[in-house]
Amino acid sequence: MTAIRADGLVKTYGSVRALDYLSVEVEDGEFFGLLGPNGAGKTTFISILVGLARATDGIAEVFGHDVEDDYQRARDRIGLAPQEFNVDRFFPIHEVLEHKAGYHGIPPAEAERRADEALRTVGIYDKRETRFDWLSGGMKRRFLLARALVTDPDLLILDEPTAGVDVELRRELWELVQRLNDDGTTVLLTTHYIEEAERLCDRVAIMDSGRKVEVATPDELRARGEDTLVVTLANDTIGVPELDAPGVHGVTLDGRTLSVTTDDAGRVAPDVIRALDDAGHAIADLDVRRASLEDVFVGMTRTAEAEVSQ
Amino acid sequence: MSIQDALGDRFGVGFRSLLKREVLRFVRRPRNTFLPPAVTNVLYFAVFGLILGDRIDAIQGFDYILFILPGLVVLGAVSNAFENASFSIFHGRWNEYIHETLTSPLAYSSQVFAYVAAAALRGIVVGFIIVAVGLVFVPFAIEGGSVPVRRPLYLVAFMLTITTLFAAFGVVGGLWARDFDYLTVLNQFILRPLTFFGGVFYSLDILSPVYRTVSLLNPMVYMVNGVRYGFLGYTDVNADLSLAVLVGLTLAVLAVDVALFRRGYGIIE
Repeated sequence: MTAIRADGLVKTYGSVRALDYLSVEVEDGEFFGLLGPNGAGKTTFISILVGLARATDGIAEVFGHDVEDDYQRARDRIGLAPQEFNVDRFFPIHEVLEHKAGYHGIPPAEAERRADEALRTVGIYDKRETRFDWLSGGMKRRFLLARALVTDPDLLILDEPTAGVDVELRRELWELVQRLNDDGTTVLLTTHYIEEAERLCDRVAIMDSGRKVEVATPDELRARGEDTLVVTLANDTIGVPELDAPGVHGVTLDGRTLSVTTDDAGRVAPDVIRALDDAGHAIADLDVRRASLEDVFVGMTRTAEAEVSQ
Repeated sequence: MSIQDALGDRFGVGFRSLLKREVLRFVRRPRNTFLPPAVTNVLYFAVFGLILGDRIDAIQGFDYILFILPGLVVLGAVSNAFENASFSIFHGRWNEYIHETLTSPLAYSSQVFAYVAAAALRGIVVGFIIVAVGLVFVPFAIEGGSVPVRRPLYLVAFMLTITTLFAAFGVVGGLWARDFDYLTVLNQFILRPLTFFGGVFYSLDILSPVYRTVSLLNPMVYMVNGVRYGFLGYTDVNADLSLAVLVGLTLAVLAVDVALFRRGYGIIE
């Protein structure tokens, strides 16, 4: 079963093309990340799924329901925690949750029970009589997640859920969302924290300028990057030592620090050490820096930008 | 139960949830919603009903305070119905919490009807408040006097229709407004002049033929006269025709509301 299917999705605002024939599929039960720089079209894509924006062209479906022609069934499956604090300011937060549950057809007694449960789940039950404006920044983020959960969604959409929250809360939220995914909820996550995507997502889509640049698992993407072998020499040296070991892409020297870029630092390290030893260089320290998703991400979005500007 | 039945049932709950939210919003803030029309109408009845009313001849056989009462009820009811719908929708757009309903499975028509029903209810409650204020003042102006209701069915029909109509107009206003000034403009520069020239304080018979004809273009004339017919049994225009036209207009504006929601006018990108 496909949780989300977008095919040739286009969204234009005047002369600006926010989505440029985006096609992507997310499987039921998957933890799927959307990565991309500001303006890549991530929030526009989410807005189309939940009904806050209309696609100019193309198809978007949630669990097989078209988001426009069959909007009621599509929206009934979705829980959204947006970036903005778009919460009803007139009511205490437990009532806001009860109203939201009610809009999804959940009768009052059940809505009240679910509201309490959602507030307990995110750890702000003791603030249930407080209005949203009086919550701290971290509590506001927790509340947005509670509001997304109160309707027991099959698809949880999290748009920058940990923006501006401290490390401890971020980890708490990660654990909670991971638990929900383990229990079968499909999660669509947009984030600027690459570590978040690496740690949580089964697959990530890298987006740039409204287009999908790549979809792969974090491991597959990392494998496309270059490792760096950082060697600290014991003594000063003049000129970059010659290293012609197989798999070495480049060598740079900064003071006594030698940086060797390679596909696989672990594999070439013995050859590099031997070559340096043969050339009479003593080694003071050695460090392997694995290719990060961030490096791959920056590389891919730079390439995409260059293609667009051409 | 078929899927269609389940959806129908669910949206019944959804509609009632939004209706409850909208009603609670104005019920819990009586200082902002019910006190202002009560105070304003105490002033109207005191100045126009008691102080000036003593010096104004009876109009069409009715003491002035009784003659103006239906118009004041209309003025308060429609302006509150309009304000409730327009403010609620605009405030929800301004702070983006209208997304809570827009991202829900509530049908567009259910959303519109909930906003309109709550706003119309507020208009009717304000109408009752104004009648209550009138009941306090009328005995001071007319010894042993009270507020008659000569055509109760007409009164109910006209009140339901005009509050629904202005609540439906309020939905359009709330979607159209780009900032709070727009709401002030709608209320102060369109709604209020139409009401004042709609025969609240005078009978059309005192106007010259030209002004009388021009006045007949003002939809408020038909509302004021309809409600006046309900209270006093007197009207300057045909009550049945007025009611039919107003019901038609209300249905048309409701259809526009639903179409605007469906199109996402002012609420989605």
